[in-house]
Amino acid sequence: MEPFSTTEPEVGTGRDGYDSPSPDNIVILAQDLWKTYDMEAISVNALSGVSFSIVRGEYVAIMGPSGSGKSTLMNLIGCLDTPTSGQYWLNGRLVSELTDDELAYIRNKEIGFVFQTFNLLARASALHNVELPLIYNGTPPAERLERAEEVLRKVDLGDRMDHRPNELSGGQRQRVAVARALINNPSIILADEPTGNLDSATGDEIMNLFERLHQSGNTIVLVTHEHDIAARAHRIIHIRDGKIDRDEKVG
Amino acid sequence: METSMTGKASVGPARRRHGELYNAWVTAREAFWIAMEALNTHKLRSFLTLLGVVIATTTLIVVMSVINGMNLYIAEHIANLGVNTFILSQYKWAQGYEAYLKARRLNRPIRMEDYKFLKEQLVGYKTMGATAEYGGRTAHYQNQEIYDTSVVGVTPSMIDIGQQKVDYGRYISESDFTHSAPVCFIGTDLVNKFFPNVDPLGKEVRVSNQSFRVIGVAEKIGTTFGQSQDNFVMIPLTTFQQYFFNRPELNISIQAWSAAQMIPLEDEVRMLMRVRRHVQYNQDDTFGINASETIMSLWQRLTGTIFAVTIGVVAVFMVVGGIVIMNIMLASVTDRTHEIGIRKSLGARRRDILTQFIIESAVMAGTGGVVGILLALLINIPVQKFVTSSVPPSAIVVGVGLSVLVGLFFGIYPANKAARLDPIEALRAE
Repeated sequence: MEPFSTTEPEVGTGRDGYDSPSPDNIVILAQDLWKTYDMEAISVNALSGVSFSIVRGEYVAIMGPSGSGKSTLMNLIGCLDTPTSGQYWLNGRLVSELTDDELAYIRNKEIGFVFQTFNLLARASALHNVELPLIYNGTPPAERLERAEEVLRKVDLGDRMDHRPNELSGGQRQRVAVARALINNPSIILADEPTGNLDSATGDEIMNLFERLHQSGNTIVLVTHEHDIAARAHRIIHIRDGKIDRDEKVG
Repeated sequence: METSMTGKASVGPARRRHGELYNAWVTAREAFWIAMEALNTHKLRSFLTLLGVVIATTTLIVVMSVINGMNLYIAEHIANLGVNTFILSQYKWAQGYEAYLKARRLNRPIRMEDYKFLKEQLVGYKTMGATAEYGGRTAHYQNQEIYDTSVVGVTPSMIDIGQQKVDYGRYISESDFTHSAPVCFIGTDLVNKFFPNVDPLGKEVRVSNQSFRVIGVAEKIGTTFGQSQDNFVMIPLTTFQQYFFNRPELNISIQAWSAAQMIPLEDEVRMLMRVRRHVQYNQDDTFGINASETIMSLWQRLTGTIFAVTIGVVAVFMVVGGIVIMNIMLASVTDRTHEIGIRKSLGARRRDILTQFIIESAVMAGTGGVVGILLALLINIPVQKFVTSSVPPSAIVVGVGLSVLVGLFFGIYPANKAARLDPIEALRAE
């Protein structure tokens, strides 16, 4: 059975030949994002005027060495933080000026996080971990269970639903995290060094999973410092010293 | 399948599918299970944490139960002077030691003349009787003896007023009374001691070198505060005068026809006695008129004090218990910072985290309350052997309710701290 839909994405003319950004298909639009951290004596610019856009169905890697500001950018894209100045539009909504509660809602509905350290609740089963985002939008238990089982089967963990994270391998844990990211049908899947804690074979397996998700139409933003991983994406945004250094199409 | 995996065409305004109330309910239920799990995981820590609340609840329930039980007990055994009955005595009961001493000094005792006077002058009563008591006697039968027996001189009418009922044989009759017959009506303590296997009727019991023929046996009454109420020898009041006290000090029991006639009848007796004793209009009564309410009101004053003290003690325990819970919750927030970060990254709002931790605190304290109640029920079992005690349902509601409130209140600060955590910082914590 084909686990993912093979339907053509709604936008784009092909895997690598995307339409030019237009108001209809832009998922992320960042305009002149600045993030300044006020230290005791000095101000540090983690981001100094970053602008870019990502259209629906794209598979983008944000790459840069540590300290380049890519984590700060990821936090902004993930609506975990707000920029000091500049505008960030997610799916047509200006999210750079939202309140905490509104940001929480966006994180719940629009963004599926996949973290380097998996960030699963240790005491909860895979199933419960996956249904967690549904709890925060008030989905009734029966529906939560049904949908959580569905996405777990999609990442080939149908037989591991009742296992706790410590009973799973690293790759399985990361697949639980991916299932959790998928459960609310987010606009983007935001992965932060998703293979950083995995051996290369397992990392490959996860990257293949992302490739499949991409092919079934999901928009994926991958943050990494490894070139091999970034090369799996179809576009790489290089960040250096809080600025976009280079924006290239690959693949 | 297709739609669930593809990117979404458009995103509406930030509206949740279900009502805010339903969301809160889903979150609360989740929080409840998290709390139960946390309690279950750290059993010893939870027990120690909840000790304050447990002790507070137990104390509250036990005291409430004892007071409740005693209320019933007092109403039934002690304040039970008989249906619609009041008692005319030398002094008013239950008004404090000073007043008692003063009354003992100033008031003349109630005498046979007073009884006869009331019999002649009072109208509209149902029954009137008089008793005189000579306590702490020793009763003998053959070579056996029983101590601390009360010899009570009674009028035949007391069978309608007093607590005693005839088990077998008969009570003191009019004829016994008229002829000062040397007969007695005895309590079950004497029967058990002297006549365990013999018919007591017709046997001679001796008290203070006087012999009395047993004519009847009373039904068992039981004990009040560990004092047997069945250790008595009742004889005709006239016989009592002849053998023990020529001028006995009486208690006169007067029964009204109905509850509504109690007060008018009391007033009538008061008026007659004041006139008889030439009490000036501005002077207090030189006698006492006592009804069940007199005893009950004293008792309630007493329990009011006990209860106030208990509330104070319980409040202190609850505050201490609450602070311990707050402390543990603060530690828990620190321990689980990473978890809070994960939840926030998945869309938990401040109020979701707030709800989670407040509910956890309330569930914890509520569990303490439940354990406290169970402990109180357990303690109640041996306590019941000494004093009447019954756990009122209201105590259970108050016990759990109060604990939950304490948990809610002391949970606010830690929960607020958790809710305000920055998601990025929290995710970074390990």
